[in-house]
Amino acid sequence: MAPKAITSPVPDSLYPTLSILTLAIGLVLTASFFIYEATTSRKTRSLAQELTTGAVASVFLGFGSLFLLIACGVYV
Amino acid sequence: MLRFALTLLLFTLAFGVLSSSPVFSDLILAKVDRRIDLTSQIVRITTSLKVENAGSNPISEILLSFPENQAKHLAYLTATLNEGKGKGKASSGAGLPTEVVIPKDVPDSLTFYSVSLHKGLGKGESLLLDVLAVFTHALEPFPEKISQADIQLLLFQDTAHFLSPYKVMVQSVAVKLPEARVESYTKLEGTKLSGSELKYGPFHNIPPFSYLPIIIHFENNQPFAVAEELVREIEISHWGNVQVTEHYNLFHGGAKSKGEFSRLDYQARPYVRGASAFRRLVARLPPRAHSVYYRDEIGNISTSSLWGDSKKTELEIEPRYPLFGGWRTAFTIGYGLPLRDFLFESDGKRFLNFSFGSPINELVIDTLIVKVVLPEGSKDISASVPFPVKQWQETKFSHLDLVGRPVVVLEKNNVVPEHNEHFQVYYKFNSLSMLTEPLMLIFGFFFLFVACIVYMHADLSISKSSASYLAKVQWEEVQATVQQIHNIISHCLTAHDKLEASLRDLSRTGDVQACKATRKSVDSLLKGVSKDLKPLVTFLQSSPQAAHILPKVEELIAKERDLQERLMAKHTTVVDCYEKKLGGREIENRIASNQQKITSLRQEVDDLMEFIDEI
Repeated sequence: MAPKAITSPVPDSLYPTLSILTLAIGLVLTASFFIYEATTSRKTRSLAQELTTGAVASVFLGFGSLFLLIACGVYV
Repeated sequence: MLRFALTLLLFTLAFGVLSSSPVFSDLILAKVDRRIDLTSQIVRITTSLKVENAGSNPISEILLSFPENQAKHLAYLTATLNEGKGKGKASSGAGLPTEVVIPKDVPDSLTFYSVSLHKGLGKGESLLLDVLAVFTHALEPFPEKISQADIQLLLFQDTAHFLSPYKVMVQSVAVKLPEARVESYTKLEGTKLSGSELKYGPFHNIPPFSYLPIIIHFENNQPFAVAEELVREIEISHWGNVQVTEHYNLFHGGAKSKGEFSRLDYQARPYVRGASAFRRLVARLPPRAHSVYYRDEIGNISTSSLWGDSKKTELEIEPRYPLFGGWRTAFTIGYGLPLRDFLFESDGKRFLNFSFGSPINELVIDTLIVKVVLPEGSKDISASVPFPVKQWQETKFSHLDLVGRPVVVLEKNNVVPEHNEHFQVYYKFNSLSMLTEPLMLIFGFFFLFVACIVYMHADLSISKSSASYLAKVQWEEVQATVQQIHNIISHCLTAHDKLEASLRDLSRTGDVQACKATRKSVDSLLKGVSKDLKPLVTFLQSSPQAAHILPKVEELIAKERDLQERLMAKHTTVVDCYEKKLGGREIENRIASNQQKITSLRQEVDDLMEFIDEI
């Protein structure tokens, strides 16, 4: 079998765009999480909704910050 | 000069001893042409041998011998079979395997290398062999110390006769010098100096182990850049980059500088007052190199330039000061390379294919350490290098690491540009391991959110019995109750909308059964609602803090009930009319009064809902 070149899962030139996009989504979700925390009272707050918003926001923020690191030249 | 006289004497002695030793084998060297290249600090001796088998037994190995003073400087040796007839044609095929051997009956002062032939050389047959031997630190500066204005003179010693265990029929030596200026050279019969080329020979019928010393004293102002230690770190990231960092510890290996250094003189006439110094080095980096930097311990060095095309990237660097003999400098070069050019996969294994030596031109490296940093989670690591090296493994901690990255370390002494061959590091890697890094970041953020949730849910007040605390708790309960009532009413309102929608459907399709079914489901839903509302309203009535909201809430509930009843009545009427097959105008007349009330009630209920929502 002839050797096959290995490439990155995402083309290098896409990292800056991807990082801006995912970080924007992540920050909007974070904002909605904190708005929810501030506007509901302790009795009416639903733990499930808090956790889901937090989890989805952290997935976007995690990938966003990874792409940001790579776009800046810190290849982790 | 005393030292050279001594060495000379030694070799004459050795020659005396060796000439008495027996003939080594039946091989005869019919023709030996040697070209000694002294144009740089690295001595390259290219020897083309015509080997003939004069005996009757086939022979499969040829011995090459080097005197002790050369053997310890030997950095690289390769022998290739020259099958092409034309002179311009390069020797073909890969190098033949060479190894150090210690034959019997030879003095210790000689080192032998054995070249194994792929197929034996039969009786009367002959072959052409090209041998390239590269020596470092073989040129001795003489005088050893020079001042800034002096030129650098070097001494080179070798033998005019090819030192070989075999008899040599015809041989000649050509020495290529960097400049026409030659201080002195050993004059033998038939020695010719034309321009910068010095020729000895031809010599005929020389017995084995013949040694005829020659010494050449010549000018050489080429850069003597010697890296005492070079550490190359090659870090692979599967996210698309191979990062190379090279730490150089460089010195000028030529004649030592003595006296003071005048920057003024150097600046005014650099090629006269500082001819032996060098001020720039050129590194040939692979194509598509990016993020190139050149710095030392105190920061960026700005004197460098970079240009590139599709075949290479050239980096020209200038140290902070010109380097004179014995002066040293340390700096770091770093660059990133695209992953696809160097990392490959075959048979389920990944491998890095990278050049071993330094990218800097004509650099001698005393100790080269190549570190290949593999991604975290690599297994079954093995390295394949085309020449013997010391190797071991280490672990390195870098960004977002849990257990550290495995590092393959390769160490080799005496490295010359000829060692710039590709080497491979094989390893196994599961692509899913790439996800550990983003997962760590994701969990980091998630813990932040969880911390916020815990903080918001925890009750951090110290006094649980104070009046203000109790009032706060009660008010929160009232708020929660009102919120619940609001939710229930908004459910009711959606049920109302459903009823209205079913009526619209009825007027369009005339399907009475579907309309009745909707009515039934809405009925059961609304029945449950009144049961849910009762305890909530009772709680509000009993709570003193809800006093000012209570009238509004009760009004809302009453209005909603009214609205509900009217809507039901309207619904019943319309369905009845449809069952009796009455005309559209008749139906409209019947519900007209009800319809007006419903619209106004709905408006009032919506206003009240908005008011309650703002509490």
